[in-house]
Order: sequence, then structure tokens, then C-alpha cells
Amino acid sequence: MKKIGVFVCHCGRNISSTVNIDEVVEEIKKYPGVALCTDYKYMCSDPGQDLIKKNIQDKKLDGIVIAACSPSLHELTFRNTAVKVGLNPYLTEIANIREQCSWVHSEIKEATPKAISIIESIIEKTKLNESLAPVKVKVNPKALVIGGGIAGIQASLDIANSGHKVILIEKSPSIGGRMAQLSETFPTLDCSQCILTPKMVEVSQHENISLFVYSELEEISGSVGNFKIKIRKKASCVDNNKCTGCGVCSEKCPVSVDSEFDEGMGKRKAIYTPFPQAIPNKPVIDKENCTYFSKDGKCGVCQIVCTLNAIDFDQKDEIVEEEVGAIVIATGYELYPMENMIEYGAGEYPDVINGLQFERLLSASGPTQGEIHRTSDNKIPKRIAFISCVGSRDPEHHLPYCSKICCMYMVKHALLYKEHVPDGEAIVFSIDIRTSGKDYEEFLTRAKEEGNILYIRGKPARIIKQGNDLVVWCINTLTGKQHRVKCDMVVLSMSMVPSSGALDLAKALRIHTNDFGFFTEAHPKLRPVESLVPGFYLAGTAQGPKDIPDTVSQASGAAAKVLTLFSSDEISHSPIIASVNEDLCSGCGICIATCPYDAREMDERKKIVSVNEILCEGCGACISACPSGASQQKNLTDNQIDNMISVLLHSNTKALERE
Amino acid sequence: MKDKKNLTTEINPEIRDILIEMGAEDIYKCYQCGKCTSVCPWFQVEIYDYPVFKFSLETALGVVASSEDKKELDKEIELIYRCVGCEACLEQCPHGISTPNILRAARRLLVDFDSYPETLKSTVQKTHNVGNPFGEHRENRADWAKGLNVLDYQQGMEFLYFPCCLPAYETRNQKVAQATVGVLQKCEVSFGILGVKETCCGEVIRRIGAEDIFKEVAKANIKEFKDSGVKEVLVTSPHCFTTFKNEYPDFGADFEVLHTTQYFSHLIDTGKLKLNKNFDKKVVYHDPCTLGRKNNIYEEPRNILKNIPGLELLEVENFNRSLSLCCGAGSGGLWLEWEKDERIVNVRLKQLTDTGADIIAVACPYCLQMFEETLKSMDVNIKVMDISEIIFECL
Repeated sequence: MKKIGVFVCHCGRNISSTVNIDEVVEEIKKYPGVALCTDYKYMCSDPGQDLIKKNIQDKKLDGIVIAACSPSLHELTFRNTAVKVGLNPYLTEIANIREQCSWVHSEIKEATPKAISIIESIIEKTKLNESLAPVKVKVNPKALVIGGGIAGIQASLDIANSGHKVILIEKSPSIGGRMAQLSETFPTLDCSQCILTPKMVEVSQHENISLFVYSELEEISGSVGNFKIKIRKKASCVDNNKCTGCGVCSEKCPVSVDSEFDEGMGKRKAIYTPFPQAIPNKPVIDKENCTYFSKDGKCGVCQIVCTLNAIDFDQKDEIVEEEVGAIVIATGYELYPMENMIEYGAGEYPDVINGLQFERLLSASGPTQGEIHRTSDNKIPKRIAFISCVGSRDPEHHLPYCSKICCMYMVKHALLYKEHVPDGEAIVFSIDIRTSGKDYEEFLTRAKEEGNILYIRGKPARIIKQGNDLVVWCINTLTGKQHRVKCDMVVLSMSMVPSSGALDLAKALRIHTNDFGFFTEAHPKLRPVESLVPGFYLAGTAQGPKDIPDTVSQASGAAAKVLTLFSSDEISHSPIIASVNEDLCSGCGICIATCPYDAREMDERKKIVSVNEILCEGCGACISACPSGASQQKNLTDNQIDNMISVLLHSNTKALERE
Repeated sequence: MKDKKNLTTEINPEIRDILIEMGAEDIYKCYQCGKCTSVCPWFQVEIYDYPVFKFSLETALGVVASSEDKKELDKEIELIYRCVGCEACLEQCPHGISTPNILRAARRLLVDFDSYPETLKSTVQKTHNVGNPFGEHRENRADWAKGLNVLDYQQGMEFLYFPCCLPAYETRNQKVAQATVGVLQKCEVSFGILGVKETCCGEVIRRIGAEDIFKEVAKANIKEFKDSGVKEVLVTSPHCFTTFKNEYPDFGADFEVLHTTQYFSHLIDTGKLKLNKNFDKKVVYHDPCTLGRKNNIYEEPRNILKNIPGLELLEVENFNRSLSLCCGAGSGGLWLEWEKDERIVNVRLKQLTDTGADIIAVACPYCLQMFEETLKSMDVNIKVMDISEIIFECL
């Protein structure tokens, strides 16, 4: 039988004003197995801790109960105290007689017996506690970053600059992401590519970064510290060792299709680099559109014109296997499809375009070299309507959330349009303009005043095409006046949605997303860059709509979390987790389906289920689901819980008898 | 100072709470985007301003029909009764606010105080007294079917055919009921009518705000249907359709409802209704609000028309299906008179005639009545026909 010591804290008058400490001590002294019970005014103070240490040594205690405040406050303090005199930390338990007793009662005669019951039940728990050691696992200090936009670039650079290896994978043929498509960035109006391309170059030249473009994550296994991954490098049909990126192949390629990078506002060839500053500057062949592939080996012009013999039509997808310790998810966003806005004729009227398409028109390196022409007849639009909240803040038909950046990019669009076409008229239709960022409100003020931009408060209901004009119907809800505004072009500030592959990725990684496919953070305020599953970190718009400054901050935050993980060779983990009694387990697998952390796996050889001690968070879901009682939480076994409940019920009966 | 009007309006939470209880529960959802206002059919009447976006906010403040000045009050009441209940606003509202329901709550309050338009008072009273909003004699209700060999409904028949008050009494609309019966007989469908026992479904009086009388009518109808053993009702009017299908169940109804376009479309698809004669006309289909937006029936009427040999089906560009424009007859509109250049029906008829069609196909007695009446004063060469009539011609 264990020798248990019980230390009752007064917590000044926090406990002692409603709990009769003397009575508690007298009662507990009589409790079976208690070798010692004493009290002190502040047990967490140095003299209090000394009292505990002295008694552990003098009485040779092998289990202690501190009756004091919530374990979330001082459990660690008292466990460390006990460790100093050689007692395993998991043999120290807290009986919470403050938050759960003295603070919620005003009558001593109610609080005192309750405090005694609480302490007795914790004594029962402590009696069956085992000495435990934290779970330790080696960490592979190499990171995988998924997505090569500004979030992925920033996270990769931060991790790589700290001396750790990074694998950066990107689905498209170049890194750069959405930011590479933008013209100028709010609120400073600096050129997006000018500030982005140096970072892109840094990535490509960094000795610690292995870049895989035109690649996707094929498979993943393992857990925090030790993931095994397979990357599919899609066949680009170009031998990058031979190719110098001269561009002759693209020039001569006879096939022209809509450019994804230019959002359909410009064309690209079937062999292409998405944009001139692409990193790496090596073309890929789009097999779907290339006539060599779609028409049985006809064409082959690129192969003929390439003097370096770099075109390899027989190239196959390649699977690369790697091992990493942490994964940063930076898969970015897309715009909500315009086709969903039937009332705006969107997707049908060529001159109703989305914000990214307008960015490409504004961009000096865009399909029109920064001149704004409308798609239908190449005319310079003399009046443009900019409409906000398209797809967002519409729980009934579209998306309930605020997409956060649309107001600001719309304000920017209107201003830039006025700079490009000074005699043009910009009309902004909005319900609220949300400028919650540093210098954003000032930017709006400047844009309104300098740009002579007209703001109409109201969400247009329809856009009707009349001849070459687009007519926007709306009501100004400030004046109550109805308007039919004739425009040459309409730019819809479409809402952000997660990248189309994000949901599949979430399934493959087995991590959570919200209803709209944005990856879910571990805590909305205090753990915003981690996933709930250890080892996965979130950066940028994959987690939710955000602007570039927030994206970069979050990417650096995610990198810092990765570096924290990498800062020691091994990680430790609380041992209060599930365990399996192999003799009782029937291998039914119910626990596997129940576990939210994917910590349960079938041992195919033994036909029983085991616990991955690194992944297990000790939530206890599997234990209550287990039909045979084979699953037990360490130091919170069924026996312990039964005993604790018995004591509580018994003392309740005693109390009733007394009455 | 005394003769100056006080423009400050007190916020009146009591009125707000009453209106919420009467069905205006959506008011707090409004974020004042104004989409409702510019899809409202009144937006198409360019000389008239109809401030739809204000209703939810004003209701929330309890300042509905609150003017103390008689003239101002009449104006406010007029605003409340301008709404045709077409739900174009609801269709687009980001928060799904039903302005027609908010206005119906206001109307209920006005009816309680007997402060609503005189013509509508008479509509309500007639429905209450003789079972139809026109004040026609009850014993003449089945006159339209004379000589057509239409049986009284008996238990075991497949359908009760319920023609709606307009096709029962109004000469032009009677042809629709007669054509419908013709098609049913040709397809050997077993059906009957309630004849003189038939009473208005009460849709219009509910929209006018006469909730108590509506409930009385609805309960009486439900009892009549139950007593007669009715399991399934076939209706000509989308207004009867939506009332029976979506509103009567609240009062204990448990019968199925089919609109004639649904049923005829089904008969065509299953080969039971064969259209043999050519109908070499250009036909534009006008989506009735109550069939389309309220009940999502857009394709069945089109399916019928597409299956008619020789018929060329046209659409009103930008204003078809869920974006269709109301004829102006809904929610009491049929009984209200507005200035000649202030009528929704004229705008809609212009849209329909601009398609170059020979025929406007409708699937609602209200639309038919509204269009026929208005076309009399317009110099255009276009005819209005119910889809049932077109089918009947092609048998």
C-alpha cells in the first residue's frame, strides 16, 4: 500500500474562509492509506514547497495530494517540487478545492464536507497511479512546405535561413502564386512582382531549399517529427538539365490557349512558362492542349527547334520519396466562380470580369502591357463599375463570410484605373468598406479624394447588357435614389475560396478544414498557425482570407513553430495517453474510427490495435468507445475512476445520514 | 410653428413586436444592400420609386404606417399595398429576407384597424360571404362546366380538379378550365369537381392581410376536402397551388397538389398525352412568380411547349425563370388601379411583345386576366393563351 501525504492549502482566505481547514485535516488523517496530512497558508510559496519536500523525504511518501487551486495553475509547480526530492511527477495529484469548492460555496457546512470528498477521491486516484515517463521521439529537422505562393516562399526562407533543409512543392510550373499575378499592392502601391521576385530568386538559389515545381504530394505517412512523403513530379517533357530557358520552343509552338496566369485575359502556348520571371525558368508541355499528345504524334515543332535537344516527349511522371519532420500548408486561394452570379451575367458577358483578371490588365507585364482594354472590342473603358462583396456575405446563396481583402483591392483598382485612364470614371458599389489594416483607412481616404471616385452605397441587383454597354441596376441606399448606370466594364470583387485541391489535400493529410475548405487552426486566437494535428502548420489564405502582410506574418509564425519543433533532437509528449491491454483487445477497430488524432492503428500481425504514443493526445474517446475495456487511459484507468466515484457517492451518503 | 409638421418619429418597439409576431421576423437580418429594391418590378416602372429596402429597417423601428397626418398615412398605406408579392426581392436577398412577409405583417395590422384600401375590403368581404373575390353567386360556380360532361368529385377518383375562381367565373378564363377538362378527358383521366361546393382557396385575402378570414376559409376548405375524401388536387392557378401545398398543411391539410403544367408535362413524357396537330407559332413563355420563384416550377411548362410540333419557344432575355418579372396582379394587385404609366403589367407586356412572339403562353389565371385586360388598350398584335389551351388546340 502506498504511503500518501496530503497537503491542504488555505490559499490565504480563498479556501479557508469557506472550508474548515482543521476539520478537513482531522478527517483526512483518518483516511486509509494517508500517512500524513498537514496544512499551510500558501502551499505554492517557497516555505510551502519546502514543507512538501521535507515530508516526502522524512515520511518516505510514495504519492502526494495537494488540496489547493485548479491543476491548470500549479500542477506543474508541485510536480517539479516532488521531482526535486526524487518522486515521479505522475505520483503528484491536485485536489481542486478552490475553483470547484470554496469559490462556489458560501456556507462552511456545505463546503467542508465537499472538500473532504474531493480530497478523498483524489487520494483514491493517487493510490493506483503509476510512475510514468514522458514519451520521447526523434525529430527529423527537415520541413515540407506545400504551396509556392508568398506564404510558402516566406515560410521556406525563414526555415532555410535558420539552417534547416526545406522541400518546397508547387503545383504549377512556377513559384510566385497569386502575388505574382498582382499589379500593385495596397496600401503602398508598390509593384507586386518587384517585391516578390527577389524572394523567388532567393528560394531558387538557397542551398537549403529543394524546389519541386509542377509537383504534388502523392502520399504521406508517419507523424510529427517523422513523416514519410512521396512527391509526384509531373512530366514536363523538358529536360531541365539541358534547357536554358531560351524560349524558342514557346515562340514556335503553333498552339495557343487561354493563359491561366493571365486569368484568360491573354494567351499562352502549349509549351510555356507561365510568365517571364518564372522560377524556375523552364517550360513545361501542357499535354492536354499539345497536338503531339492529342493528335497522335503530329507536330513536334518544339523538338525540332530546340537546339539543345531538351524536349523529351517520353518523359514520365517521377515519384520522389522524402522524409520530413514538419509540414507547412500554404495552398492559397482561388476566386469564387463568376459563373455563380447569374444576376450579373457573369461568365457570359465578356466585359464583366473578376478582380484577378483586372489585375492582369493593370499589370505592366500583363497581356495588354498595363493598358486597360475591354475584352469584347478592345475599347478603352471610359466608365468602370467596381462591385464589392460578390459571393461573400451572402449566406443565402453564396458564402457567409467576409472575404477580407476585396474592399481594399477594389479601392486600389478604382484608384489605379483612374491613373491609367485619367478621363475615365470609376464608380464603386459597396455596402461597407472594411479597412481594418495599418494605413488602410488612410489609403481609402486618399483614393476617394485624389481619385475623384464615386461611391454608391448599395449592392447592384442586376447587370444587363444593352448593345455594347453594361447597365448596372442599383439603389443608393443612402439617398434612396434608384440608378441604372451605363458602364463599359464591370469588375467584380469576387470572394476568396480555398484552392480547388485543398479539400483533397486535407483528406490525405487527415487534418481539419471548416465548412468552406479553409484549414482549421488549433485555436482561433492562441494557436492560429498550428493545425490540431501535431506537425502540421498553416500559412496564408489556406487558413482563411487574408492580405499579404497577414499572410507573410502567419508564414513567419508557422516557420517559427517549425523551428521550435526542430530546436531539440527529440520531442516529448505527456504520457497520460491511451494504452491497450493486449490480452483483452479483440481487434474490433472501433477505437480506430473514434480517434480524432489518427493515433490508433491495427497491428496486422497481432490482430490487435496499438496506440501511436506520439499522436495520442489523451482525449479518452477510444477508452469510452472500447467495448472490452482493453483501452485504458494511463493513470486514469477504469479502476481509478470507479474508486473515485465510489468515494464520492459514499461520502455523499454519509453527509445525508448526518442530516 | 404650430402648423409645421413634426418630422421626428418616435421609435415604437410595441408596433415592432406586434409586426414580428405577425410574420416580420426577418427584419433584423437586413444589412441595407438594396438589392431588393432594384429587382423589384416597381424598379422597372421608371417614374415610380418604390423603397423596398426601407421596409425591414422601418419595421424594426416600429415606424410603419405611423404618420399622424391623414394624407401621409394614406401614402404609407398605399406603399404597403403596392407590393405584388412576387418574391423577386427574396430570390436575391443575401440574407433570405421575405419583404412580402414583412409587408403582409403590416397589412394584417392595417386590416385589424380596418385601414386598408376600400376595393380590397370588398374583395375580402365577397370572399367571406360568397366564397369568391368577385361577389359572383355561389350557385353559378360550376356554370363553366355545363355541357362538358364533368362529373362531381367522388371518392376513388384520381383527382379533384380545382379551377380557381377566375376560370370558374370570368368568361375569358373559363376557356382555360374548359380546355383543361378537354385535355383530361382526352387522356381518360378520372377526375371530378366540387362544383357549387367549391370555395376560393383564400390566397389573395391572406396576402391582403385578412388573416382571420383566411384561416376560416382554409379550415372550411380542408374540411370539405376531407369529407369528400380528396387525396390529390389538380389546379390551374399557381396561387391555389402554393396555398394548398405550402400553407394549408399548417391547418391540418394532408392532400397532394399538382399544377396542370406538372401533370401535362408528365403525361407527355410518359406518352399518355399525344400532341398531333401543328402549332406553327412563335410562343414566349411568361413565368408566373408563384409557379416559378415560389415553387421552382420552371421547366415543366417549357417541356410542354417544346413538345408541341411546329411551336417555336422564345424567352424574354434577362427576364426569364427566376429573373422573370411579375404581371402585377399578385397580392391584391389585380384589384388595385394605378396611373396608366405606373403599371408593372405594361412593362412586362412590352418585354414579352419585344421578343417578336405571336403568342404569350401563361400558366396562371391572374397573369392571363392581367395581360388580356391590358392588351385591349395596347396596339399590338399578340395573343395570350394558357398552356392548357395550346395543348387543347393541338390534340
